[in-house]
Amino acid sequence: MQDYSLIWLIPFFPLVGSVINGLLGKKIKNEKVIGTIATGAIALSFVVSCMLFFRLLGDSQKVHEVIIASWMSAGKLQIDWGFLLDPLSGVMIMVVTGVGSLIHLYSNGYMHGEEGFYRYFSYLNLFCFSMLMLVLGNNALVMFVGWEGVGLCSYLLIGYYFEKKSAGDAAKKAFVVNRVGDFGFLIGLFTLFWALGEHGIWTVQFTKIAEHAHLLPAGGAVVTIVTLCFFLGATGKSAQIPLYTWLPDAMEGPTPVSALIHAATMVTAGVYMIGRMNGLFAMAPDTMMVVAIVGAATAIFAASIGLAQNDIKRVLAYSTVSQLGYMFLAMGVGAFSAGIFHLMTHAFFKACLFLGSGSVIHAMHHAYHHAHLHDDPQDMRNMGGLRKKMPITFLTFFVSTLAIAGIPGLSGFFSKDEILWWAFSSTRGGWILWLIGFAAAGMTAFYMFRLVFMTFFGEQRTDERAKDHVHESPFVITLPLIVLGLLALVGGWIGIPKALGGANHFEHFLAPVFEHTQEMFGIHSQHSLHAYEFPLMGASIGVALVGIFLAWLMYVKNPEAPKALVARFRWLYVAIFNKWFVDELYDGLFVNATKRLGRYCWKGFDLPIIDGIVNGAGWLVQGFSRALRFWQTGQIHGYAMTMVIGAVIIVAVYIV
Amino acid sequence: MEVLFFYLVALVAVLSGLIVVTAKSPVNSALALVNTFFCLAVFYVMLHAPFMAAIQIMVYAGAIMVLILFVIMLLNMGVEPHKKPTHIAWGAIGGTLVLLVSILFIQRGDTARAVGNISKDVVLREGHTALIGKAMFVDFLLPFEIASILLLVAIVGAVILAKKEV
Amino acid sequence: MENLVQMALQNVNMAAIMPSLVLCCFGMFLLMINVFMPRGKTTAASLISLLGLAVTFVVTLRAWNHPELGFAGHVALDNFATFFNVIFLIAAFLTVLMSDDYLHREGYPVGEFYPLVLFTTAGAMWMASGTDLMTVFLGLEVLSISLYVLAGLFRGQLRSNEAGLKYFLLGAFSTGFLLYGTALLYGVAGTTNIADIGFYLSAHGKMLQNPMTIAGMLLLAVGFLFKIAVVPFHMWTPDVYQGAPTPVTAFMSAGPKAAAFAALVRILILGLGGLQADWSSLLWMLAVLTMFIGNVTAIYQTDIKRMLAYSSIAHAGYALVGLVAANAVGISGILFYMLAYTFMNIGAFAVLVLAGKQGEDNLTLEGFSGFGYKRPFLGVAMSIFLFALMGIPPTAGFAGKFYIFAGAINAGYIWLAILGVLNSAISLYYYLRVMVYMYFREPQEDYGWVRMNPGTVVSIVLAIVGVLYLGVVPGKIMEMAKMALF
Repeated sequence: MQDYSLIWLIPFFPLVGSVINGLLGKKIKNEKVIGTIATGAIALSFVVSCMLFFRLLGDSQKVHEVIIASWMSAGKLQIDWGFLLDPLSGVMIMVVTGVGSLIHLYSNGYMHGEEGFYRYFSYLNLFCFSMLMLVLGNNALVMFVGWEGVGLCSYLLIGYYFEKKSAGDAAKKAFVVNRVGDFGFLIGLFTLFWALGEHGIWTVQFTKIAEHAHLLPAGGAVVTIVTLCFFLGATGKSAQIPLYTWLPDAMEGPTPVSALIHAATMVTAGVYMIGRMNGLFAMAPDTMMVVAIVGAATAIFAASIGLAQNDIKRVLAYSTVSQLGYMFLAMGVGAFSAGIFHLMTHAFFKACLFLGSGSVIHAMHHAYHHAHLHDDPQDMRNMGGLRKKMPITFLTFFVSTLAIAGIPGLSGFFSKDEILWWAFSSTRGGWILWLIGFAAAGMTAFYMFRLVFMTFFGEQRTDERAKDHVHESPFVITLPLIVLGLLALVGGWIGIPKALGGANHFEHFLAPVFEHTQEMFGIHSQHSLHAYEFPLMGASIGVALVGIFLAWLMYVKNPEAPKALVARFRWLYVAIFNKWFVDELYDGLFVNATKRLGRYCWKGFDLPIIDGIVNGAGWLVQGFSRALRFWQTGQIHGYAMTMVIGAVIIVAVYIV
Repeated sequence: MEVLFFYLVALVAVLSGLIVVTAKSPVNSALALVNTFFCLAVFYVMLHAPFMAAIQIMVYAGAIMVLILFVIMLLNMGVEPHKKPTHIAWGAIGGTLVLLVSILFIQRGDTARAVGNISKDVVLREGHTALIGKAMFVDFLLPFEIASILLLVAIVGAVILAKKEV
Repeated sequence: MENLVQMALQNVNMAAIMPSLVLCCFGMFLLMINVFMPRGKTTAASLISLLGLAVTFVVTLRAWNHPELGFAGHVALDNFATFFNVIFLIAAFLTVLMSDDYLHREGYPVGEFYPLVLFTTAGAMWMASGTDLMTVFLGLEVLSISLYVLAGLFRGQLRSNEAGLKYFLLGAFSTGFLLYGTALLYGVAGTTNIADIGFYLSAHGKMLQNPMTIAGMLLLAVGFLFKIAVVPFHMWTPDVYQGAPTPVTAFMSAGPKAAAFAALVRILILGLGGLQADWSSLLWMLAVLTMFIGNVTAIYQTDIKRMLAYSSIAHAGYALVGLVAANAVGISGILFYMLAYTFMNIGAFAVLVLAGKQGEDNLTLEGFSGFGYKRPFLGVAMSIFLFALMGIPPTAGFAGKFYIFAGAINAGYIWLAILGVLNSAISLYYYLRVMVYMYFREPQEDYGWVRMNPGTVVSIVLAIVGVLYLGVVPGKIMEMAKMALF
């Protein structure tokens, strides 16, 4: 039995950092001191996390609960400030503190000279604290504390540039949409609490819920409603259909924030939550199906939108939504460890991509600033050819892009492929889910390489006056990029599947959390389908390569050729090389159609329908509110009469 | 005979109550109020509570009425100008509702029972005034004392709100 | 005659009314010394009243776990009363702390303000400890009359006048209901003692369905629901809260509301427990109506005081949920919630006192633009209070709502709990809007000099400590709330 009582230090350090910077930051003023406090705080919790994580690795018992203090007790219900360390939360704290430390370090360079530097780091530390509470909480309410906390910090950080109206609006949208999700979470929690209470079990503790979940009828209405409510919470936090709209807007925040909160950690909270309650979800096959369908739909839907964006951060935002869809797809088909695996690898490569884009934006901004221009530093149409100017950024970005595109050997390949395999072969999966995921993988490869080609290859399209001012970013910015790039490269090697001769250590490590559920509900990949494993893997590699090739054709081989130019030379090329014909065919049949679909999805569905629903609900409430206000006339006769009528009605109802 | 007398006095009481609220001149209102107070005193006598009846006449019909008349004279209030009644619809609706519920209540009510320790026999044996004294200073001593604080607060409040400068 | 005196003295038990007695002594002492104080100097009076509240606090705490009965069953200083007494004292203490500077600033340094606050608190104590309808009623009247005066304290201001007058007229009107209900219950049971009414009704089961009993119960409830500001008896709230001086509003939203809850709980549970099916179905409907109307109307407000008035209506609805559940968790949840609400709401009003500047012309949403950056401490404080009001963990508001909704679920009212959670989600909209203005809007004009006087700041800090303490480690207080049940 190992000692894990130091676990409280993990969230404690960032909290202290946040409080110090929040209260004294304005007085300290010195950026170095502020940055060191904040980065040091999260680095310390990374050290503690490593210590406990490796202790856990060597421990035969994998689930540990540490109770710090009693929190609330209501009737037979006892709720503690308690932490739960098991392989699942172990992986999460490593990701949160590891990636978090790198992003803190990066922020030192990126946020240099910003007004409210202390405020930024205070929020960022507070975010890490909340996120760690979320993943470490041993019961649903401590998790909810973190759940609300990350929402709050996300809100504060999206609205960091509060002078911009769009930032404030985006922040508010994020918070409100998240609260819709939180509402689902709370309803689910209360319903579960009540349903278990009917059987005499009053608890919100995860281990106890898992222990007693069998009291509820499997597949019954109660479990389905509870899990659907929880899933609604997850869709809000993790930006899935129908609550995904806030995430692209959230890019108004500083780029490191997008990397940490809106890519690597907070948005994966929903996936983590489903993983944490896997026993409950497995009992509700209907919910699992909904989760899988929503996940798959989000994956392809967001990927298609990503095809039509020109803002570098927006492409990455839609890409995040799409990748989160993969994780939910994994959860929905019962591939819990694959989902968590993808969560981890995604944290590496997506954080690297965001930080890389931040590095580019930083450089572009700097250049425009020098040249006194006000062009958009995030528009990819103004970039191009940056690979020579920013070699380190380019290299790390490129590795991560290979990883997300699913090129064999890199981290993303193993995790994505495992998800696709499970989607195809799981007892809760189906070939159609695989097909959707497969198509989305192709799109992912395309839009990511389109981004890389537009940004780093070809001619530099930056304004002449600013062109020469674009430089590689300083070391504090490139160091995290290098580390994350390396992780994106090798991070998947701990989960190489058996089919490829690996041992899939990752799955074994997580087995204490998921295996029991999977055995109990017969969730596994079907043996009869094992012959397809290699062909499917080949297919997904193939589709990735096709996507890359198309991007290459359109953005490198035939760089920024206006349509008219292409049309004029088409006859010649068709006649001689026959090559452009294929290009145009793809362009017309495949790419343009998808592009149009993407544009339609964005403009046609997103704006009128989702916003319409949101605005409609708001309008209804406001109308009601206005009507009530007219009742409040200020005339005392009216008030008295309301009292009389109210009393008379009450008395009449009860006496009759 | 007693019942007939009760209804007679009750009719007078209700009619003078109506005059209190409908009379145009405040002096007429005040005089009608005196009338109502007297009717109430008669009820007390009928309920074998002569002490209460005496207090009712001395305090309410005497002291308080004089105060009210003083105020009316000091303020030199004339006849109320004829105003268009507002909220008459609300009043009608509310009144009708109250009436309906009252009818319902009376129909289903079951009030013909006397409970409590102090019956007519006890009153006749121990004496009315002694019982009131006991109720006030033994059983309801605390409410009686709280009432004194209540009056103090009311006086202080009236002074604060009425005096010219702070 | 001597016999009577002896009987009277036998009933007297000063220990049972000690807290209110101390308060009244201090109140009367203050009234006297105010005569000798130079005009416009009220700081001494405020300090003495703080001392009085502190002394009473000590006296009150000594009564914990030492219940005292007395005055022929008119008063019981049990743990239930003591818990509420602590709430009233905290509310009064925080209010007095923020008042002195405010009264000077607004040009009404009325020395009588402080004794009136003390008498109000004493009235609230009689409501919480009264075990006879008469005591409760007189306590309510002492409390109400003091509040009418306090609400209309700023005689030169029309809206303060309006607040005082409206509160007075409607309050007197509601007193009519209350007395009518009392009379009917007396007619049924032949006693005004709450416990005796309960014994009588349980001994005579068929009297429970007598229309007179039910009507008495309903009318009595109406009287208290008016004070709690439950729909449809809530309409005075926004006008009065907006017009009254801000510290008075702060006090009004916490102390009297808690007092009315105390009396209502004691009467409904002890006296009319046999009618639980009737009153809990009534309160179910009213709780839902109150939550919805309070929250939805709050959305449309642009004046923050008025918005907080509607929010206080909604919070009354949440607390009613605990009474509907009527089990140990629900009722102790009400006690806890009232304490939590005292801290968070008075804290929010204390921020408004400082933000309002002279004449309180600054309490619109627009006036809060950029407030969080101009006044970082007040911004953070306001945010904490708003989060608590929203019910976001780990603040007192979350713990309170959790207990109350857990009580409802324990009692099988799952739908009521869900509607409650839904309402919390709606309420987010308007609380959040204040924060959006504070942090995401450029300041409209320079705030200039806001006088950060120590009293108000101490009051804000105490409220923050309370909100966080009750949110992070509510266990101990909740245990006490459970021990406070009858």
